[in-house]
Amino acid sequence: MKMKRKGKKAKKTNWILTIILMLGTVTVFFPLYMAIIIAFKQPSEMTNDVAGALAFPAKWSFDNFRQAMEVTDFWHSLGNSILITVITIVLAILIHSIAGYVIARGMAKKKSFRFAYLYIVSGMFVPFSILMMPLVKQTAQMGLGNRAGVILLYLVFYMPMNVLLYAGYMKNIPVALEEAADIDGASSWKTFWKIIFPMLMPMHATVAILTALGTWNDVMTPLVIMSGTGQNTLPLAQLNFQTQFGTNYNLAFASYILALIPILIFYIICQKQILDGVANGAVKG
Amino acid sequence: MPKRKIARGMLATAGIAMALAGCTGCAQNETDDKVEVELVSYKPEAVAAFDQIAERFNATHEDIHLTIDSPNEAMTILKTRFIREDYPDIVGIGGDVNYSNFLDADLFMDISDLEETGMVKQSYLDMDKELEFVPKEGIYALPYAANAAGILYNKDLFDEHGWEIPETWDEFIALCDTISAAGVQPIYLGYKDTWTCLAPWNALAVGLTESDTCNQVNMGTTTFTETYRETAEKIRVLLDYAELNPYAYGYNDACTAFARGQSAMYPIGSYAIPQIKSVNPDMNIDSFTFPANEKEADNVLNSGIDLQFCVMKDCKNKEAVYEVLRFLYEDETIQIYLDHQGGLTCKEGDFEIPAELQGMRTYIENDRMADYQDHHYPSEMSVDAMIQTYLLDDSENAVDTFLARFDKEWKRYNRDLIRKVQQYQQKEGDVQ
Amino acid sequence: MKKKMTNRDKTFLAVLIPVLILFFAFNTLPMIKGVIYSFTNYRGYGSYDYVGFRNYLDLFTDARVGKSYLFTFKYALAGTILVNVFSLIMALGLNSRIRFKSALRGIYFVPNILGGLVIGYIFSFIFTYILPVVGNTFHIGFLQNSILASEKNAWIGVLIVGVWQAVAMNTIIYISGLQTVPKEVYEASMLDGASKWKEFWKVTFPLVMPFVTINLVLSTKNFLMVFDQIMSLTKGGPAQSTESISYLIYKNGMDGGQFGFQSANAVIFFLVIVAISVFQMTVMNKKEEQL
Repeated sequence: MKMKRKGKKAKKTNWILTIILMLGTVTVFFPLYMAIIIAFKQPSEMTNDVAGALAFPAKWSFDNFRQAMEVTDFWHSLGNSILITVITIVLAILIHSIAGYVIARGMAKKKSFRFAYLYIVSGMFVPFSILMMPLVKQTAQMGLGNRAGVILLYLVFYMPMNVLLYAGYMKNIPVALEEAADIDGASSWKTFWKIIFPMLMPMHATVAILTALGTWNDVMTPLVIMSGTGQNTLPLAQLNFQTQFGTNYNLAFASYILALIPILIFYIICQKQILDGVANGAVKG
Repeated sequence: MPKRKIARGMLATAGIAMALAGCTGCAQNETDDKVEVELVSYKPEAVAAFDQIAERFNATHEDIHLTIDSPNEAMTILKTRFIREDYPDIVGIGGDVNYSNFLDADLFMDISDLEETGMVKQSYLDMDKELEFVPKEGIYALPYAANAAGILYNKDLFDEHGWEIPETWDEFIALCDTISAAGVQPIYLGYKDTWTCLAPWNALAVGLTESDTCNQVNMGTTTFTETYRETAEKIRVLLDYAELNPYAYGYNDACTAFARGQSAMYPIGSYAIPQIKSVNPDMNIDSFTFPANEKEADNVLNSGIDLQFCVMKDCKNKEAVYEVLRFLYEDETIQIYLDHQGGLTCKEGDFEIPAELQGMRTYIENDRMADYQDHHYPSEMSVDAMIQTYLLDDSENAVDTFLARFDKEWKRYNRDLIRKVQQYQQKEGDVQ
Repeated sequence: MKKKMTNRDKTFLAVLIPVLILFFAFNTLPMIKGVIYSFTNYRGYGSYDYVGFRNYLDLFTDARVGKSYLFTFKYALAGTILVNVFSLIMALGLNSRIRFKSALRGIYFVPNILGGLVIGYIFSFIFTYILPVVGNTFHIGFLQNSILASEKNAWIGVLIVGVWQAVAMNTIIYISGLQTVPKEVYEASMLDGASKWKEFWKVTFPLVMPFVTINLVLSTKNFLMVFDQIMSLTKGGPAQSTESISYLIYKNGMDGGQFGFQSANAVIFFLVIVAISVFQMTVMNKKEEQL
């Protein structure tokens, strides 16, 4: 469908660039190829010589994947990972966008907002290691040693970066728009949700991807905050494959590839949002 | 303008889901009259063994319910649980510097009134004693399983060429020369993973130095420059017989290479056997004690406590916990563990030594064993990386540089401990 | 007019204050506790004593800490430059009139999703086994041995992987920046007959300048805090040549018993990064205004 719509433009396709970019994908496909064949091999097929390592597995069986799903209690862990990631993204978009908006607009006029901006953004540079132990104690005391606590911490951890992104993006949206709405008698609250929020669409998509990736692959926070609750996220469950004295790479890689698929799908959806967001938001506005 | 509705909908969904997420602990703890005992073990690879053990225990005990948890990253989890003051009843940890630290933080209970402590092989009890920073009255751990380190060798290759097991350092070097001459790589090293540098280091050091070297240094009676020179010199000799540039290959590479017959020997511990066998299940592996000395009689097998049980100080049901420990120490239970995990037991008695460790048999049976020296090194000092740095250093006085650094850093990283030890000594001196 | 503004102000404060409270409670408060620990010899559990400024004084005499700062800065400088150059080029390419746009964007994003174990295993294999073969075949000296095993070159190996992974994320931010450039601007400049190169510097670049700022700050910060790549590729080796500050703080503070000392390290590190970022933002803001 899309092809048809763009049919007329297609004659302008820059083929040289397309080919260069396609050749460049080797840098991605080669490591990915290795990951995939390892995921299909048996431990006894692992060798140290180049030819052996790059060869196809003896047989293509999904046995490793089945086993990996069993070991990680896949559906349950996946559910937890999705739950945590989705709630974090939704809340991050809602809270961080309005915070970014308020700070960006307030900053122009008031020192105190400028200060708040720098205060929050500087939080990005706090090494997690120094926060970890106090946070473990604090969340436990507040009864937040669970998934809700992990989500809350993510909202705080990603606030600096997301506020930075949203506030930066606000520079592209003329203040005149809001002032016009204000004169029409709409409250600032309404103005934001009605006019500004939709215009932030490309940034929502970016924030969603950045936040999703951070939370999806994160091991440390759930490990220290919700260990012992009987709940696992996928990265936590994947630790099963690794001990100091032995690693089952074949199962581990199978599991990693399984975990990669949902986030890749999510990215592809978000990518469309970036385009659509521009079409619906910026251009119409 | 449905955008706003979407936003509201999102908020509502998030709220509900948040509430759901918060409710993790709601439906657990169906407490009947049973006493609950929780054991956290740091060996996730032993989860199958522990599941079986816990099942047997619960089937035979009506009044106690045992839960054994073997999480990954168990040390991180244990430390965070200690911060939360959410203690399990029993912890299963290794006999290493973590044990020393936990004990020093006064987390464990004295279990000397448990009869099972009398059934432990003496050398393992001694190892635990030596792990105490400041000597303490009582017994704080029940040693359970041990591993041993030295040289693993490819039995088929040895049989094929008629190579003999060396008993002294000179014989070992001669053997390496013979193996090289036959066109085979004598040893393989995985020094990219720095911790593997400690395997030959420990195996040499137990033969060449006193087992309480570190304590002696803390008390100020000796220095590492004096005690570790020979160990440092000999570990460097191994490089001549290893693959080119061993810093390029990790533990896993070395296991794979050894399993594929790319080298005749591999200086590592029994813990590597499962990984090697995963690559080559049919491999015939045997082992021998590292012949560090000129005389066979001086050699000592490097063996350490791989798993021991400690009771947390504030555990509430001492009787139930002791019942669990007694069950764990029954011969049958130990056998279940050994069948799954291999290795050695710390209990006196007739237990079968696995085929891969037959070559160390006489040392094990005669209790000629000493602990890994690195169990006394503070992990933040990164002695493994220091050894790697030393081996990479090609200059003439590399040994001196290394030993001087060892002494200097030791003082720095153990400063509070040394003060403690010396205070203790002073106090003892005053009493006398 | 004035009354309306106060209404707006009220709404703004009603949003800002809860956000600040949340942030304070879960970021600043634990940080303050961390700062307190930096004056102790706390191991992370058990009892501890206050040791005054000893940890801070030690920091400045600790050769290992000094070495980790040197490594981290060298790495961050090279990484930030490379990533921003590559990702801007990638973004321009992926945003131009090419075929298979979605697919290509999807593919180039994959490096960012792969977890540490996969990256560590695969790149170690490439550096250890594949590149030496290439080096030997074409007689490229420094490739003939695994670069991860060389004290001098290991950081380059870590850098390659770091850049490989980071380009994806920065490309996205640049793409979303390029999306804000109205099409009319290009069309106008095309009519003027401006060359592509000129068009980029005169038209595109100034418009995406805010994104350059964001990307520079973010990537500098990410590279300064490098941890995952070290953990999966070198674990600080060989000969402790690739120990980054974050790695040292984590390894010795959490794994080892140096929580107090490494908290002091983290406090100093935090101040250093904030200083660098404020400097970057100030300079870039001035540039933005000039353009």
